Amino acid sequence: MPAHDPLRLEIANSARVGLALENELSANQARAYVRCLQVGWQVDTIGWNRADSEGQLTDARSLLQAAEIFAEIEGHDAPRAIDCYRRAGEILEWLARSNDGTKTLAPIELLAGAAFQLGGLPAMASGLLGQLDLEEDGPSLFAAFLKADFDEVLTLAMTFWKQHPDLTVADASRRILEEEQDDRLAWYFTVELVRALGLFADSVRRGDDARLAKASAKLKALDAMAVRTFSDDVSLLISLLRQVGSRFADASIYRSARALGELNVERMPRMLAFARDQFARGRGILWSSQRAGLNRLFDNSSFALCTPTGSGKTLVANLGLVKELLLRDHGEVVPLALYLVPSRALAGEVEAKLTAELGRDLIITGLYGGADWGITDYWLNADRPTVLIATVEKADALMRYLAPLLLSRLRLLIVDEAHQVLPEDTESGRSAFADHSSRALRLESFVARLLTQAPDIVRIALTAVAGGAAGPVARWMEGQANAQAIGMRYRSTRQVIGVLETAPQRRCKMLLELMNGRPLYVQGRDDPVYLNLTTPPMPQLPASMRSSLNRFNQVTVLWTALSLTAANLRILISLAQEPEQTMGWYVQAFALPAWQQLPAFQPPEGRRGELFAEARAACVDYCGPDSYEVKLLDRGIATSHGQMPQRLRRLIVALIDEKICPITVATATLTEGVNLPFDIIFVTSLKRSAYDNVRQRPIITPFTPAEFRNLAGRAGRPGATKGMEGLTLVALPTSIATTANGQKQTQRDQMAVLQEDYDALRENLRRDELAGDATLSPLSMLLQELREKARAYFGHVTDEAFLDWLDQVQAEDVSDEAGTGATDGFSRLADTVDELDAFVMTALEELSLLDDGLDGAAAEAKLASLWQKTFTVAAAAQEAWLEQAIVRRGRAIVETIYPDAEERRRLYQYGLSPHVGRRFEAIAPSIAAQLAAATDYGTESAAERLARFAALGELLKDDRGFGFRVRDTVTDQNILENWTDVLGWWMRGPGAAVPDADGLRARQRFVADNLEFRLGVALGAVVAQKWTAGAGDPLAVPSLAEWRATTGLPWFGFWARELLRWGTLDPFVAFALAQGRAKTREEAEGMRADFEEWLAGEVDDPAAEDLIDPQRFLAWEKSLPVRERERAEPVPEQAELTGTTGGRKLYNVLPISGDEEVLWVDAAGYELARSVDEFGLYDASDIAHDYVLEAEGRATVRRVFARSRRR
Amino acid sequence: MTLHICPPPKDALDRWLKGYPSVVNNYGHLLLEQDCDCDDALIADLVGYFESAHADARAFFHEQMGIDLHPDANAEGVHTTYPTCLPSITRRGLFGEVMAGMLTEHYVYIGGHDWKIPVFLFRYHEDAEAYLFALVRDEKRKREVYGRRGSDFLALALNEAGEVIRFIAGEAKWRKKLQPAVVAELMYGKKKKNPDTDELEHDGKGIWYQVNRDIAAPHGLRQLQRLLREIDPEGYSAAIAALDRVLVVKGAQQLPRTNLIMISGGDVSSREATHSLIPWDEVPKDYMAPHDLQVVELILTDGDDVIDGVYDALWSA
Repeated sequence: MPAHDPLRLEIANSARVGLALENELSANQARAYVRCLQVGWQVDTIGWNRADSEGQLTDARSLLQAAEIFAEIEGHDAPRAIDCYRRAGEILEWLARSNDGTKTLAPIELLAGAAFQLGGLPAMASGLLGQLDLEEDGPSLFAAFLKADFDEVLTLAMTFWKQHPDLTVADASRRILEEEQDDRLAWYFTVELVRALGLFADSVRRGDDARLAKASAKLKALDAMAVRTFSDDVSLLISLLRQVGSRFADASIYRSARALGELNVERMPRMLAFARDQFARGRGILWSSQRAGLNRLFDNSSFALCTPTGSGKTLVANLGLVKELLLRDHGEVVPLALYLVPSRALAGEVEAKLTAELGRDLIITGLYGGADWGITDYWLNADRPTVLIATVEKADALMRYLAPLLLSRLRLLIVDEAHQVLPEDTESGRSAFADHSSRALRLESFVARLLTQAPDIVRIALTAVAGGAAGPVARWMEGQANAQAIGMRYRSTRQVIGVLETAPQRRCKMLLELMNGRPLYVQGRDDPVYLNLTTPPMPQLPASMRSSLNRFNQVTVLWTALSLTAANLRILISLAQEPEQTMGWYVQAFALPAWQQLPAFQPPEGRRGELFAEARAACVDYCGPDSYEVKLLDRGIATSHGQMPQRLRRLIVALIDEKICPITVATATLTEGVNLPFDIIFVTSLKRSAYDNVRQRPIITPFTPAEFRNLAGRAGRPGATKGMEGLTLVALPTSIATTANGQKQTQRDQMAVLQEDYDALRENLRRDELAGDATLSPLSMLLQELREKARAYFGHVTDEAFLDWLDQVQAEDVSDEAGTGATDGFSRLADTVDELDAFVMTALEELSLLDDGLDGAAAEAKLASLWQKTFTVAAAAQEAWLEQAIVRRGRAIVETIYPDAEERRRLYQYGLSPHVGRRFEAIAPSIAAQLAAATDYGTESAAERLARFAALGELLKDDRGFGFRVRDTVTDQNILENWTDVLGWWMRGPGAAVPDADGLRARQRFVADNLEFRLGVALGAVVAQKWTAGAGDPLAVPSLAEWRATTGLPWFGFWARELLRWGTLDPFVAFALAQGRAKTREEAEGMRADFEEWLAGEVDDPAAEDLIDPQRFLAWEKSLPVRERERAEPVPEQAELTGTTGGRKLYNVLPISGDEEVLWVDAAGYELARSVDEFGLYDASDIAHDYVLEAEGRATVRRVFARSRRR
Repeated sequence: MTLHICPPPKDALDRWLKGYPSVVNNYGHLLLEQDCDCDDALIADLVGYFESAHADARAFFHEQMGIDLHPDANAEGVHTTYPTCLPSITRRGLFGEVMAGMLTEHYVYIGGHDWKIPVFLFRYHEDAEAYLFALVRDEKRKREVYGRRGSDFLALALNEAGEVIRFIAGEAKWRKKLQPAVVAELMYGKKKKNPDTDELEHDGKGIWYQVNRDIAAPHGLRQLQRLLREIDPEGYSAAIAALDRVLVVKGAQQLPRTNLIMISGGDVSSREATHSLIPWDEVPKDYMAPHDLQVVELILTDGDDVIDGVYDALWSA
């Protein structure tokens, strides 16, 4: 090591500490950042002069030099080098976005892009370079390269060659050098640089390493020339291009694809095609977090990958699927992967993405349907590897049905958003146990069971960074006490959190308070960082609308959002609860005279217009033409909440995703894990409140930091949105809205509370950012809750006293109302005991499915082994008594509490907690009998069909355990009383009244909670048991052909749950909607006639069951004309060699369209051949494909890769 | 990648040139007049130094031009030999730069420092850098080239520990005939019509402007340092670290600097022998910078012969 390297490091570090500590801005940097935001928002800017800009530029240069020192001595991945590159990138970005002419001093935007790339922030590079308006061709070309947009590099390079045909002959470069012109070296350099970049782009995306090496060598040589001959900045730019290129070459996905292909050389071509396709999708260059993940994948181990959403985790998961399902030899077994997602919406998103990339190789199916298996479950007996995408609830239900079958095939478990295993440490988090609604516990339970039974499957967890989940999740997945999550140090975007200050008849002001979790401030100034919006103040609202401060605040947010959409910003107004109330306020605001000046929303045209029309039609179908949803949609405002019918929700998500609706009003369910592009999120409340009628007090649930962070994480995805940062702003009024004296004090108090909520959140976020590993787990929290209550109610203080109590306690002994949804303390305790029993008994049953008898000792042994696989152990939260509690409770269940093995098996299959399940057993036979009796459903009238559902529902109506449950409000109680009206409306029964806009959501909630969920679960439990009882063999594969015979039920039993899900009485309608054949229920109803006509040709005098036989539906669908397919592969073109000897036989070429001919050009800009193109079939879009010139014999050109039209 | 190591040809210089040095305050002036005709012996004595000065650039040019990206290109064939292949006008620019190095290493300048040029940077036709941005070869399509022009010339003074203690930077220009108008244009910039007076005036962007406004760490220093890091990181370790301090540390103590202005070219009849183009007896009034200034005037009678003789002879053996 050179003697002075330590000194060099010291020098570089002084710059890093002074200018580039992560998340710490110097005063001038903070000012530069604020100024760039102000310029972008076109508001007044802080004082700033040219010297300030030059000072920042100097700092950026210093940091680039410091970064080089670190990179040279410590390696280019050295954390300190990364710090310096990142901050240099930021400083240059802020200068570039401030548009103050600094870019005439240096190519700052290109330097910024390169610095972000070298700092491992490729998304920031793309985000910045993608939004700048680069006027000249050179910077556009360099920017495309720095963005790793190789298709664009080639498009620009080919344009250059088309403009300079004299340069495409073989010795063109040499001829430049032989000229007697003083400028020839500069021109030669320019031409060679275009050649090198083009060749690099073409070779890297094809995976042609030999040509890539040549292009890299040329870039290196050009850099060496530039450093000696060009001015400082130009040589710096060339040097950075060369360095970025070298990183690209190292990070090409081809490396990983080849390494994986080595596992199974027959699949190598497929792996290479996969890699090429990733380039076409703009994901061919792996990010460092991805490379870390893939390295682990090669090492054959399970792992947790810990990066924010939108940072390319999906690719790692995809390659995990490829490796485990396609490349490994599993013998006779057709392998299966289970991909757990936190929401049904996300299941849809993952399914769509995976299908696009791997649909040719794997069966990919999202299990979010109503039935436990249904019409789309052809995967069960297919002979292709399969990926099941499911929520944990769905996976759990499937396991109860098909565990032996699933376990025998399962090879890979992927847990997306695995941090959701952390329980919410709040009152509502604890009461979720008694409600049997803790998702965290369900996830812990499910995965622990799976890992106990299939310890050898590969596990991959994808998890968020903050909140302390990464460490424990990694330990959980790997099963190693020293496991570490990988990929921690990455942020795909900059997150800013602050306040939107609202006040009557004043302009709003934005305060920016946290950047990437740390306080943002300008040193030496007392004022926080702020932006004064230039939006005109909202016209004074009528007094009645101002009497609620909340209403005033929310309407002001809408007003602000509407004016910001003019700047092409995408905005989410996030609501904590009661979306229908806000939606109603918004509709009323739009009706105000002063709001009539606002421009009308113009729906887009073309494909996006069709999508809008489809969503609107579905909205009219499910919500009614006069609903708030439709009225707001007509204003360009999309609405979404958890109670919306699934189909409508998915369409609304598409509207947002395609940026058709500039404003979205939604509750948090929209954003759970789904990637949607928003520039700004306005938050109107930081807590939810409900009223506990039993205890006569409100229950307040503030947003947890994790929840808020998840929400804020949806803002500002680079590339998808306009800015470089996502802004999440909490709307806070700074003065009261009312002018009525009687209301003033109330509003002042409310204002203070809103401010307090915000202060508390900010503090929690700050702490959370610094948090170490989480130690809380759902199971330990459940046990602690039990222990706390046992102490409070029964005085059991010691470990032993508690365990003794737990050995014998039974839910019904604690409360007579156990399992009925009662909310008094004892009933809650009883239900919490029942939840523990659900955990323990499910584990015991699942771990002994193929065993005959299970005694107490065996139960203890099984639970002890399960315990080791819990998240609780991984989170190191265990104390001895916790494990004891689980193990001893298991023995008690088997020996004294649920000693009847048959009963335990039935209770397990119902999927309800055991005490609730016992109560359910009382009505299960009635449900079965009613299903069995519906043999004429196919020919019954709508009224008769509706009556069947009404009769089924009546069995559940009066029970609060497994039956219908509503909130303790007058409206909801009314709905319950008249629930058959809701049923009639939802199922499109004859003469049913459509609810008015105000009452719509309460009814939607009833449908979602009770018809889809509770009635659906009850029906599913009965049908599942019928199947199991009939099948006998636990490994039997369900099939439609045997379904009726096995269950002994008519087809109604198969359809009932699907019908509740789609809101129709006609199985054909459910089928047509599920298969995507129809867009609305009305349209599906219209297709019925076609089906019946077809059926008449197949069957004489069809019976009732024929009319709803899913096998008939499928056969009918098969008889329909096949949908149009992709254009077939073109035939090879005859070509004439014009610029090559043909000696290499195979040449990579790209087309340049000419006059009735097409020129086949090497990406370095050399014309090699021509062919006739009489009809002008080729244009610039074909540069996205790969072509090969075969020069042997008669020369031909053949397309070897086609980019799919929709990326 | 090689360093410049050849010492200046002392005897040849003493034979060829007659020097008139002077010092006033922080201003050094050196007039050099040609004292003998250019002959083969002189050329032979100069060739070694010129080859050494161009060795690094030559190696890289050959490497880079040897890479032909045509898919049929086979063995790395060198198209052309640097720098003999360069056009006449380019040769003259390079000659000025190499001579600046040779004279700086040989003669005693203001301050008496021992100057060293570890590696020569050469600049060509900076305006043509605009091609890189326009992707068009059009000299007329003027573009504001980024303001950081490099100095023509950069040399270092090192202490015994190898640390950089001072640098000398500046402009080295060759002009065929050094008439007063040519010198004026060099020093004050090209003439442009003043729209107010309708008269031709210097645009003020000449050597004085460059020298007066150059920033603390002259451009080119980073590039020179990078070459040292690549070529001899061990040998120049101390110098490299010292230059890092200049390039990285905000508000670092500035390296002492000497400015160099070297005007070279053909003699004209209007100039009397031993008379300088730039006054030597007092600090020029146009010089504003606080640093030491060294002016060198190299007046030749058959400069073109020397230039072409030297450049034709490089690597000819």
